[in-house]
Amino acid sequence: MEKLGFSFDQTLCNGCKACSIACKDKHDLPVGITWRRVAEYAGGTWQQDGDTFVPNVFSYFTSMSCNHCEDPICVKVCPTTAMHVGEDGIVSIDEDKCVGCRYCEWACPYSAPQFNPGTGHMSKCDMCADYRAEGEDPACVAACPSRALGWGPIDDLRAKHGTLAGVEPLPDPALTRPRLVIIPHRDAQMTGHGTGAIVNPEEL
Amino acid sequence: MNVHELPMILFTILAQMSVGAFVVLGIIQIVAARRFGSAAIDKVTDPALFAIGPVMVLGLIVSMFHMNDLTNTLNVLRHFDSSWLTREIVFGSAFAGLGFVFAFLQWKKWGSTRQRQALALVTAAVGLMLVTSMSMIYYSLITVPAWHTLATPAQFFTTTFLLGALAVGAALMGTVMWRIKVAARAGTAAADTEGVVDPDSRKLLTSILKGIGIAAVVLLGVEFIIIALHISNLAGGGAVAGESVAVFSGGWFIARLVLVFLGAGLLSVFVYRYASSSKMARPLAILATSAFALVLAGEFIGRSQFYGSMFRIGM
Repeated sequence: MEKLGFSFDQTLCNGCKACSIACKDKHDLPVGITWRRVAEYAGGTWQQDGDTFVPNVFSYFTSMSCNHCEDPICVKVCPTTAMHVGEDGIVSIDEDKCVGCRYCEWACPYSAPQFNPGTGHMSKCDMCADYRAEGEDPACVAACPSRALGWGPIDDLRAKHGTLAGVEPLPDPALTRPRLVIIPHRDAQMTGHGTGAIVNPEEL
Repeated sequence: MNVHELPMILFTILAQMSVGAFVVLGIIQIVAARRFGSAAIDKVTDPALFAIGPVMVLGLIVSMFHMNDLTNTLNVLRHFDSSWLTREIVFGSAFAGLGFVFAFLQWKKWGSTRQRQALALVTAAVGLMLVTSMSMIYYSLITVPAWHTLATPAQFFTTTFLLGALAVGAALMGTVMWRIKVAARAGTAAADTEGVVDPDSRKLLTSILKGIGIAAVVLLGVEFIIIALHISNLAGGGAVAGESVAVFSGGWFIARLVLVFLGAGLLSVFVYRYASSSKMARPLAILATSAFALVLAGEFIGRSQFYGSMFRIGM
């Protein structure tokens, strides 16, 4: 079966966060749980132009949820097998097995598994399995007004957009091999070579 | 100080102390058997052995508070082939179970000495596997630079043997004090060390306390080397590691160093120095207990900072 993944075009995203809110609404997520979040990565330097110093700044957005990794560290460390990979590569949580030890939360570099104090279990993105079963797009993808988000078989996405996934502020893709394709912003900085910082950490 | 992970701080310290004490008692058996004979050693060390069980069980109970849905607890045994957390729980329960069986046989003196020693050897091996699994839980998180370093297993094993040795010292002296008290209450004339501890046991106790004093000083050195290497390693390890290294500074960090130094350094030297004087039971008991208490407090702060240094790569 074809493995699924997300694509994200940084050149199109204007940081409206409709994806984040659509996800929250669709899954009725409580305060404190946000499966899809949008990071604003910004920075800059001064540039000398003759006798004048002018600011040379940049800022770009990255919409991020679970990337249904090929080497999912959350699945590897879970003591209960509640965190599991489906045939389509989608990583999801079986709440009937989860003990809520939060070990996956420590491990995931994308903050995908999030703890729900209401249930005592972990919760996470399943790429809207119910919508997909009915032939619809995941809520975040459908909500994006600038069509920056996409989804589908990861091989198709990679054939179309390339294989880049290591862009700041994202972690080194070698860690978990995310099924994610990034179309980079013109100012995008490669992971490990960033000079900027996430300016909205309270939203992530 | 970070106490959000209180169940994990207490569980890791209590379990490591239990394994350490069990292994130290085993080493005492092996080293001292030729000179004193197994039976004489058992007489001195059995009360300390019986104290390990309740400590380990307390640790396991406390660890349950780390989970948020106890109804699914048994599921944590499902992922032995991949999750170090599953392995930790399996080895933890096995260590507690085997330790209980061994302590019971030792109490009733059932089975031959050789059979009991074989069981003790297996129990100690399982205990060391427990400490290994514990450290691998953190070491295997490649996304947390402060944990994914050899300092994690090195520190866990140092805590194991340091606390284990000092706990044995405190327990043995506590037993002597208790026997003196019982003798005094019964009106025995010689209600002092001479009266309640026979000369052979006293010689054995002296050797044990001297050994513990030396071990504590050596392990103190090892611990301080680990701390220094860990900090310098993190300081040169990128942005996320840099956030972690900031945790190892300030008042609590200094308090930890001072407490461990006083307990495992200064007081342990005194324990070694006065171990052979037979009239010193009470001061020696106070020294051994204080050394243990100070190091326990220092290790508690250290473990709390270990959890506080958890900063993860990514977003």
